Amino acid sequence: MTMTELSTPQPGIKRFIKIDWNIGALKTASPRYWSFVWMLIIMTTLGVLAWVVVLTTGGNAMGQRDNFTWGMWFADYMFYVGLAAGGLVVYASVHLFGAEQFRPLSRLAVLMAGLLTMVALLGDLTDLVRVWRIFWFVVTPNISAIFVYTGSAAGFYMVLCFVDLWILVTGVGGEKLAFRMTLIALPVAIYLHTTTAFVLALNKSRELWNSAVMVPIFLTSAVASGVALLLICAYILQHYHVLEFKKSMFRSLATLLATVIIMDLFLLVVEIATVYWPTAAKAGHTLRFSEFLTGPYAWQFLPVLTLGIIAFALLAGRKTRHIPAVQITASALYVIAIFFKRYTLMSMGFAIGPLGQTQNPYIPSLVEALIAIGLLSMGMLFFTIATKILPLRVPLEEHAAASERADAASEPTLEPGVAL
Amino acid sequence: MSQDKTRDERPEGATAPEGTTFSRRHFLTSIGIAAGVVAAGVVPAALMAPSASAEDATPTAGAAPSVPGGSTDPLAEIIAADGPVNYPGHPVHYAKPAGKEKWAMVIDVKACVGCRKCVYACVEENNIGRTSGFTYIQVLEMEPGKIDLESAVLDYDEAGRPDKWYFPVQCMHCAHPPCVYGCPVQATWKEPDGIVVIDYNKCIGCRNCMITCPYGARHFNWVRPEVPAAEINPKVPLGEKAWTAEKCTFCVQRTRNGQTTACVEACPTGARKFGDLNDPNSDVAILLKTRRVWRLKEEYSTEPMIWYVG
Repeated sequence: MTMTELSTPQPGIKRFIKIDWNIGALKTASPRYWSFVWMLIIMTTLGVLAWVVVLTTGGNAMGQRDNFTWGMWFADYMFYVGLAAGGLVVYASVHLFGAEQFRPLSRLAVLMAGLLTMVALLGDLTDLVRVWRIFWFVVTPNISAIFVYTGSAAGFYMVLCFVDLWILVTGVGGEKLAFRMTLIALPVAIYLHTTTAFVLALNKSRELWNSAVMVPIFLTSAVASGVALLLICAYILQHYHVLEFKKSMFRSLATLLATVIIMDLFLLVVEIATVYWPTAAKAGHTLRFSEFLTGPYAWQFLPVLTLGIIAFALLAGRKTRHIPAVQITASALYVIAIFFKRYTLMSMGFAIGPLGQTQNPYIPSLVEALIAIGLLSMGMLFFTIATKILPLRVPLEEHAAASERADAASEPTLEPGVAL
Repeated sequence: MSQDKTRDERPEGATAPEGTTFSRRHFLTSIGIAAGVVAAGVVPAALMAPSASAEDATPTAGAAPSVPGGSTDPLAEIIAADGPVNYPGHPVHYAKPAGKEKWAMVIDVKACVGCRKCVYACVEENNIGRTSGFTYIQVLEMEPGKIDLESAVLDYDEAGRPDKWYFPVQCMHCAHPPCVYGCPVQATWKEPDGIVVIDYNKCIGCRNCMITCPYGARHFNWVRPEVPAAEINPKVPLGEKAWTAEKCTFCVQRTRNGQTTACVEACPTGARKFGDLNDPNSDVAILLKTRRVWRLKEEYSTEPMIWYVG
């Protein structure tokens, strides 16, 4: 490599919208990287083709029916929106609560939040056979329909995440703007999760959904699964030398995860107690919940409890919590547990319909599965490419500057030229 | 990245730079914003919640007068509550404009023998796809002695069993329709005569109305509805219903032309009565005033416009 002048941009780096896109990194990427990228492209294409099948042949290609009104897309929507929360909580804690140990994660966290919300929204759209009619959302929105709130919140949140990422990567506005963005993003994230929980909770027609605890349980599940996914991604990116983190950062993340997992499990137990306690039990509720404890839906719900308890047990021990394998295993278990939880939550609305008829468990059709896998692959594809070409590494000087400022603050500020 | 820009002037004695650590002011600010955003969602919901006082304050033109002596005619309250909801100001494109009527139905479960003649007549009248897999009316076979939906049988083979009773369920055309409240794009609404309709050209197919309905009354056309050419009712939409939700319309194409509904016409035992609550001589008005009637899931406050008697 020849020496270059300081003012000349590095070869392969293209500056666009004030971001240094490292396109050159793609050219030097390993064949393994490219085979992974091509696999994701193929799966995304299969997903697009499956969606074309739905658009041309109608909803019959999907496994959903009158009795199972919503299916895979809705479980995925709840799952992805939840996962997006973890990133934001970590990012917000850097700027709002001074959790400096999470600062190296901030760009990665915001990127993940944006991409996951995008996938969640696209899942929603691919369920609509006449997707072009979506413009009625803007023309004649119904203010009593919760979909209007959660849909717009997700759209706004996604844009906010990408704008936030741009601010963090370019450094425009500095620390002050990043802090102000947090002040907007955090309430919007809470609002998004609240309205997503309301999609279920605000239905008196669906006994097991119609619970106020749905909102806090959505928030805890979201933060737990989001932090768990962030931890896994951080380990993967460290493994491939994309980013570097201190061990103490992973320990802090694992402690945060354990705390939120136990809150999440606690809320679930509270809900179950309310359904079965003799003075509260209603026949319609207990009958429906029993489908998930001992009936044909148990395979969906029992993993939520068992995987969740195992994940907490792994992280609860002080002596084992710092071991990377334990952290990764617990995180993976909890992400899987939350997926089952979303799937179960979706089923809880339909296992026994409003007219009391018991339904067989819903399994997505091949077309639905391909769309779901295609969307996930698309999200992973964007993520894989972004980790290569976007400057996700938080510069050391920025990290150091934050600590420096903390030190400087304890000193009296002097006007230039003023002598002591 | 320039860090100098982030250095702010701060009061003497401050212990932490702005923007990097948690401070009470920032915490309160963020809580304030969060509360504001949540309130923005909750306040309209609270304002939209159906309340008895709001209904009482907005009687419709057809409301019956108060009974002397302070008590109110029970029908007057029902009629007053049954106003239009999300009505766009014009009738749905496949119906004539609503008249002054307030439509209601009374079903005598003692007389119903579960023959499903109402179901078949409804399918033929309303161009329900023969392969669509649903019917507007669902008749439940119940055990005597209680209304136990979870034990009810929908796909019974033998009708008229003396040891069972039969319970037809369809769209209740609720005065407070959760389906209309839940439609994100106002593709469904309640017309001034109380009929809940769906604009098939506007429905986005999200199926949220099916989620919100406590009566399982709404159905989705997963396939393009197919009806043999000779059996197509030209007064009712067909092709445009593909991939949209549909349900009972109280046979709007008939009832706004002076006819009764197809199910009432087909019932061999006269278990179904349909009519105008504004007309004191109608069967429904007389039945509601003289018989002990009840409604399905009354505790849900949806105020259904179909009553049961028996």
